Amino acid sequence: MLKRRSFLKSFLAGVAIPMIIPVVARFLPPALKRRLLRPPGALRGQAFLDKCTGCAQCASVCPNQCITMTGLESGLEALAMPVITPRWRACTLCMACTQICPTGALEPLEANLAGMQKVKMGIATVSTGICYSFNGRTCGTCYHACPLPGKAMRLGLLETPIVDPDQCVGCGLCEQACIHMPHAIRIVPVEELG
Amino acid sequence: MAHKPRLSGATLRWGFFASRVLVLALICMVAAWTHYLNLKAGYNNARLVELAHGPWMRRFYEASEAFFGLLGDPLEVAQQSGGMVWSSSILGLPLTDPVAALSVASRGSMPGTQFLLGLLIPLGVALTFGRVFCAAICPASLVFYVTSRLRRLLKRWFLLPNLNPGRGLAWGVLVGGLVLANMYGHGVWTLVLPYLAMGQALFHTIVYESSVAGGVAAAALGALVFFALADLLLGDHFVCRHLCPTGRLLGSLGRRAPLGVVRDAPNCKTSCNACTEICPLAADPKQDDLLDCSSCGECLSVCPTSCLSMGRKTA
Repeated sequence: MLKRRSFLKSFLAGVAIPMIIPVVARFLPPALKRRLLRPPGALRGQAFLDKCTGCAQCASVCPNQCITMTGLESGLEALAMPVITPRWRACTLCMACTQICPTGALEPLEANLAGMQKVKMGIATVSTGICYSFNGRTCGTCYHACPLPGKAMRLGLLETPIVDPDQCVGCGLCEQACIHMPHAIRIVPVEELG
Repeated sequence: MAHKPRLSGATLRWGFFASRVLVLALICMVAAWTHYLNLKAGYNNARLVELAHGPWMRRFYEASEAFFGLLGDPLEVAQQSGGMVWSSSILGLPLTDPVAALSVASRGSMPGTQFLLGLLIPLGVALTFGRVFCAAICPASLVFYVTSRLRRLLKRWFLLPNLNPGRGLAWGVLVGGLVLANMYGHGVWTLVLPYLAMGQALFHTIVYESSVAGGVAAAALGALVFFALADLLLGDHFVCRHLCPTGRLLGSLGRRAPLGVVRDAPNCKTSCNACTEICPLAADPKQDDLLDCSSCGECLSVCPTSCLSMGRKTA
């Protein structure tokens, strides 16, 4: 009886120890609200967070080194979760990450056109107010970076980019290529589109 | 029966030391190979690598190319390995931490087949050899090696406590970690498990420039500092003995492990307690209580009558 009670006591103390983490996290500067663009094939919303263990296998096999893992600066919820920052390095849709993911947080996809078209990381949106092509200065850089030219993106007059929201997979190559500062085309992750 | 032990304590200790260094090296290499992948996909040419990144990068590139080339197409082979002790693939062979599987299951999600298959080897090893993970693989043991030496030094001048909260504590940490994983995400285990913290810290420091994703490495280093302080101030090997939920889980899984330390009772001296005193994991070979034995071999090398050996447990 005494033994059981001391076990229970230390058990409860043990449960309390990890609770230090959220308490300490309170004292960190508030998390930056960031748009988190997940790797290709990622499950949506809660289903992704249920499965992703943050093992970084996706980051290990990414030949573009574009998958990084978020630290505490994005909040405790996002600790060690894979994220792509397209303006820094966009996804080349090689699908290596989807094939190694052990938990199924990323659904396996083939590295071909059919596989590419199954991806839905986000949708590119053009800020027509600052885009060079929309303001009379022919550019078209984003179109030339698009891996699905003519499908996800078409060109209008003076090479204005016209995104097809149904076909854009959200790889971010357009965002990376944009020569305007700040970028005139950016990916809105599917999570934010609701 | 006075037979010569087949495995001496020194052999075990050095063998396990080498294997832990190898695991650390492997984690660093997996991280470094992302740079190789990047060069391979970007240049695919040793001369171009040298022009862009210097002769050392060229040597690294060529060595990796030759190594992976032994097994097939270098790019494909390199993309079959990844991860860290938490969950990894080694040339396509999946390995999963039981705690990771528990964590995924606790969120009411069915882990993928690859993930479940990865459990086979770790569970099989734990059931046969007990907690041998702690002696042979744990990458954080290097930190605790240093802290235990430091603690020994500090003890000369300071009175340090040696707490023994019992086995409930680590079970509690396991449950607490699962609760946090449900409240936030599986990423919180980075801050709960010492070996995962070590893996994340190494991996993220080697792969990324700190400005981009230093966050995980910084958080993991913070956790490691916490563990080191706990080890230093609270008790001998406090983290391994009383905090690490994986150690607790593997120890209990290996309760009936058929292989481990065997005591030749007739040769054992009643007055001597050397084996129990040196055990880093608070097992008690003297009383044949080997619940937490990691087969590290410390007790074998201090036993004055060599009555301890590795072998098949009879009881």
